[in-house]
Amino acid sequence: MTIVRRVVGGLAMPLGSVVFAFVVGGLIVAATGGNPFSAYAGLVCGGFGIGCTQGENPALQISNTIVFLTPLITTGVAVALPFRAGLFNIGAEGQLLAGSMACTAIGIKFSSLPTPILLPMVLLGGMVAGALWAGVAGVLKATVGAHEVVTTIMMNYIAQWLLRYLIIGGPLQLAAGTSKSLPIGPGARLATLLPSDNSLIVFGLPASVYRVHSGLFIAIVAAAVFAFLLWRTTLGYEIRAVGQSQRAARYAGVSVRRTIIVTMLIAGAFSGLAGAIQIAGVDHNLTDKYFSDTTGFDAIAVALLGLGSAVGIVLASLLFGALHAGGSVMQSDAGISSNLVLVLQALILFSIAANFLGAIRQLIPGLRRQAGAPPPETPAAALMTEAAAASEPGSQAT
Amino acid sequence: MTGLSDILHLLYTANLWQAALAAAVLLLLPALGGVISERSGVVNIAMEGMMLTGAFFGVVADLAWHNPWLATGVAILAGGLMALVHAVVSIRFHADQIVSGIAINIFAAGITVFLVNRIYGIQDVGHATQSELLPNFNVPGLDQLPFLGQVLFQQNVVVYAALILLVLVHIVLFRTRLGLRIRAVGEHPQAADTAGINVYLIRYGAVVTSGFLSGLAGAFLAIGVSNTFVPNMTDGRGYIALAAMIFGKWTPFGAFVACLIFGLGQAIYDNNSIIHVSPYLLSMLPYILTLVVLAGLVGRSSPPAADGIPYVPGSE
Repeated sequence: MTIVRRVVGGLAMPLGSVVFAFVVGGLIVAATGGNPFSAYAGLVCGGFGIGCTQGENPALQISNTIVFLTPLITTGVAVALPFRAGLFNIGAEGQLLAGSMACTAIGIKFSSLPTPILLPMVLLGGMVAGALWAGVAGVLKATVGAHEVVTTIMMNYIAQWLLRYLIIGGPLQLAAGTSKSLPIGPGARLATLLPSDNSLIVFGLPASVYRVHSGLFIAIVAAAVFAFLLWRTTLGYEIRAVGQSQRAARYAGVSVRRTIIVTMLIAGAFSGLAGAIQIAGVDHNLTDKYFSDTTGFDAIAVALLGLGSAVGIVLASLLFGALHAGGSVMQSDAGISSNLVLVLQALILFSIAANFLGAIRQLIPGLRRQAGAPPPETPAAALMTEAAAASEPGSQAT
Repeated sequence: MTGLSDILHLLYTANLWQAALAAAVLLLLPALGGVISERSGVVNIAMEGMMLTGAFFGVVADLAWHNPWLATGVAILAGGLMALVHAVVSIRFHADQIVSGIAINIFAAGITVFLVNRIYGIQDVGHATQSELLPNFNVPGLDQLPFLGQVLFQQNVVVYAALILLVLVHIVLFRTRLGLRIRAVGEHPQAADTAGINVYLIRYGAVVTSGFLSGLAGAFLAIGVSNTFVPNMTDGRGYIALAAMIFGKWTPFGAFVACLIFGLGQAIYDNNSIIHVSPYLLSMLPYILTLVVLAGLVGRSSPPAADGIPYVPGSE
């Protein structure tokens, strides 16, 4: 009974936040003279291939959603793991870019190698690059107490400019005047699930238009590794202990410094993997599309909405992947800018952070908690109590 | 080292320093906002979003009324309104201030382009037509000084306003009772509350002020430096302002020095046609420098003690 109540209670917050966002988003659409129902119908069609009216291919829409959700899972994990240690990794985007740059560089340099050698090389290379990118923040946090939020923001921008340098006038540029890199070698590419064969017709379209690739399975394995690491290993115990209370963890013999650095390294490796998979599975080269990539920021919403659990992260990735895929259909079918998706995402974040749901519940007499019960803590705050405490001078990580 | 000598040559031109000061002011305004907000104990990484909102509504108002002054007022209010959302969520609802800040930035990026589309019917380009600009103003007499005249006294009106605000913020923060209260609330809200200071009121005021300043910067960007709204036109300036605030150790003049360094980098970047260093590598410098400062290589930089911690009366 208590388990059922906990599951329902656990789902109420994320579902409520999503409902809140869609209601407010719908009001914004209506207030600006649009039709929220046709906007959301476009989103559902684009995201899940359901109820399409303009002849969209449902299978293709679902394929697009899966392509979008794949990197969200791995970067979501990269945000959720540090959360457990009381660290806020805003740097998943920079780490992802570092991973995609390393993957591309290796994939170009060794383009003649066969798949069994080159593919592991580019994926591992991406993970190492992401780990190093996050490691800077981890080391600065553990040694001088520099706040990881600030350092990871700086590292994001350094990655952005490095990317521009590499593909505009830098060593990876395809040709003068272009803003993209050379393609990676054929051995560095992840297989698509369907053969890229134009004569094979699947669900009414040539098989080559479906971009779904085997990176999806890597991402799901990554989520499983995250859950195993967190709950079944000594390191996971140490990470959770540091997140609960650095002082108590220290008394229990945990090296807080070491845990912080290792946590950030692992998180960065997950983000770097996401970047490498995007190159190896989808794009096969770096393009200016990556200048405006927001996967690493979407990952923050994914981690929070998924309540930091592996299953939650996969489900939240599905939602955001569908929103991304749906945005363009909403724009073409309903004439509502796909940027509404960003608005919805921000509203979900507000709702989770501020626990509007809890506040609304307090206003409804039947649902109000018994007097004397402590106010429900917001999940973000619960995940981050130690992060806040650690920014106090004198309680720096030692 | 042709690159280096080119930069040295550039440094002798008044044009460069004139542009550097203008670029610095674009960063200084949100940085001052950040200083005020964080001194009161509310972490603010949302200057980017507040600035973008200000830029957008400034252009909308300017196109509607053809009056840049009125438009600037609208931009300031729009920035303040976004800040009020951050304030309510962080102060009233005790939300995580970093999540709220990220949400503001994402919301601003989304809602501005969404509204461009609704108002002007342009699909995702966001180019509105030309707007009336905030004017330049040459200080009579002083603008004829060699070198300095061009750098300091042939500037946009917003530049002068920002320099006055810089001094004003410094005086208010460190020379007045109000400033003492703001700093007390940011260092030890429990003690401040006990002493009869309204912690919430101070924090609301500080956060909304940061929005006003960021909104003004947005107006300067959209109807001063340029004359249109482009999606995501702030291009990370709010985050560089955040870096400048930290670089300057949460003080107005410290932040100003950082903004000047970053603004100079921007001005050199804009003159990239005559230098041979990749402008993209140069653009990394503000962020790398900030990391160096954070690493403690140039003295420690630590935030106010209660920065980022929601205040709940009666808690310790």
